Amino acid sequence: MTKNEYDIIVVGAGCAGPAAAKKAAELGLKTLLLEKSRVPGEKNVSGTCLNMAALVDPDLHYVMKCPVEREIKEMHSFMINEDRTTMFRETPSKGIILLSVRRDHLDAWHTEEAKKAGAEVKLSTTVMDIIEENGAIKGVVTDSGEKYYAKVIIDAAGVNSIVGRKAGLIPKRKGKNMILYVIVNVFLGEEKINERFGDSIYYFLAPNTQYKTWPWAFPKREVVTIGTGGYMDENLFNDDIKSVNDYMQNLLNLKPLKERIEGGRIESWGLHLEFDEAIEKRTRDGLILTGEAGGFVIPFLGEGMVEAFFTGIYAAEAAAKAIEAGDLSAENLEDHYMGRYNDNVFLQGFRYVADLNKKSILSKTDEEIVNIMQNVCIGGGFISNAIHTNWMKGAEDDDMGFVQEAKDFYDFIQPYRQVGSESIEIYQKMRKQK
Amino acid sequence: MKVEMKVDYYPGETGEFVRVDEEKCSGCGDCAKFCMRNVWVKDGEIYRPKNLKACGECGACWNICDFDAVIFEEPKGGTGVRYEYG
Repeated sequence: MTKNEYDIIVVGAGCAGPAAAKKAAELGLKTLLLEKSRVPGEKNVSGTCLNMAALVDPDLHYVMKCPVEREIKEMHSFMINEDRTTMFRETPSKGIILLSVRRDHLDAWHTEEAKKAGAEVKLSTTVMDIIEENGAIKGVVTDSGEKYYAKVIIDAAGVNSIVGRKAGLIPKRKGKNMILYVIVNVFLGEEKINERFGDSIYYFLAPNTQYKTWPWAFPKREVVTIGTGGYMDENLFNDDIKSVNDYMQNLLNLKPLKERIEGGRIESWGLHLEFDEAIEKRTRDGLILTGEAGGFVIPFLGEGMVEAFFTGIYAAEAAAKAIEAGDLSAENLEDHYMGRYNDNVFLQGFRYVADLNKKSILSKTDEEIVNIMQNVCIGGGFISNAIHTNWMKGAEDDDMGFVQEAKDFYDFIQPYRQVGSESIEIYQKMRKQK
Repeated sequence: MKVEMKVDYYPGETGEFVRVDEEKCSGCGDCAKFCMRNVWVKDGEIYRPKNLKACGECGACWNICDFDAVIFEEPKGGTGVRYEYG
């Protein structure tokens, strides 16, 4: 192999990229990781909490060693309308449910891990184009005009990835396919965050603070990250709402949030897009799309980072198998890649739950959503709601197909639902090793 | 608390990573409507990304354009928007 030839090139050092590069290097492949920012994670606006239930998967245990901002143990949901404010406090499982993180710390740490495993890393390097030969993706061109070649390119460059777009796999998206999110980080200092937010995340549902999404506030060590937005269709803006900043302003003015951020200052503000549908095709000859580039994000449940970790790892494994077999075709890559994806209880479970819940919520008014949310909170969360929804539909329509589907899903999701004290033991072991 | 658009940038020239395809632009203004940073400005019959230095690199303009008139690429390595606490 010459200087610019690799087995694997990974584009993007967010969540999926370093996971892919680390795994590829561990599998003995000559790996290059390219990242456009100076410090990995500094181009990322969001991705605030890691789901502990996913980290229990042995493939992700090592992620528990990452720089953690706060161990989240509770959820508070506020339903607010003109007449009343309802607050639900939940502790959905024993111990830690989420780990809140800063992307500029997490991604930088993760990239170091990939480097330690043997991957070569180039920062401040933007991929501008792909190199195609006879319908296969053979390499990438960077902003300096340098060309790099690899047997397999793993695209981990996010929602608007230039690699996926140039390869014709990432389409334009809007309407009910894309959410425009605005995010602010409010600095309060560690002591005030401890007092006002503690180890709980907060959701708020109130008129004119969102458009079919869930405004949230997630505490980190010394800041609280607050996000809201809506689907990019003709109803996102109206006479009262001229931009997503207006949703944010209304959110910051809600009493329960307002009093908690009193005296703080906005330290940073950012925008990001979240794709809300599965991408049709994730591979081409010599190319695999991972993380948000591959549409592996569930905005409805706020899941994206762990999907990126998993798909990054699976892409590296699929690439290794394809290289070993000497078959870099889209079909072969897809078989290995999606085979692993389809076996993952967490990913399948969350996709199912999100699809079912989203279908009902997109068709409802804010007021009806508040009622649904109350049922969701009382009834044991979105998973139970998904099971219940299909079960009841089956009973009402006298269609055993729905009931059977609900039962199948109930059985399927059991390993996830049983996550409890075991996760804490693994977490403590990993933190000790750190 | 008032929403403040506090955005940090790396030093250095990004290059013209957002451009308009003048032939394709219909002047509908969706790019400007969905842009939170006022990058897009009306110039005669069409819109141009005149305030590119304020761009947050979200890509809403590219996604929303019905006429494929927005060319949305990437800033040069180590330039453009930079976020803390993300």
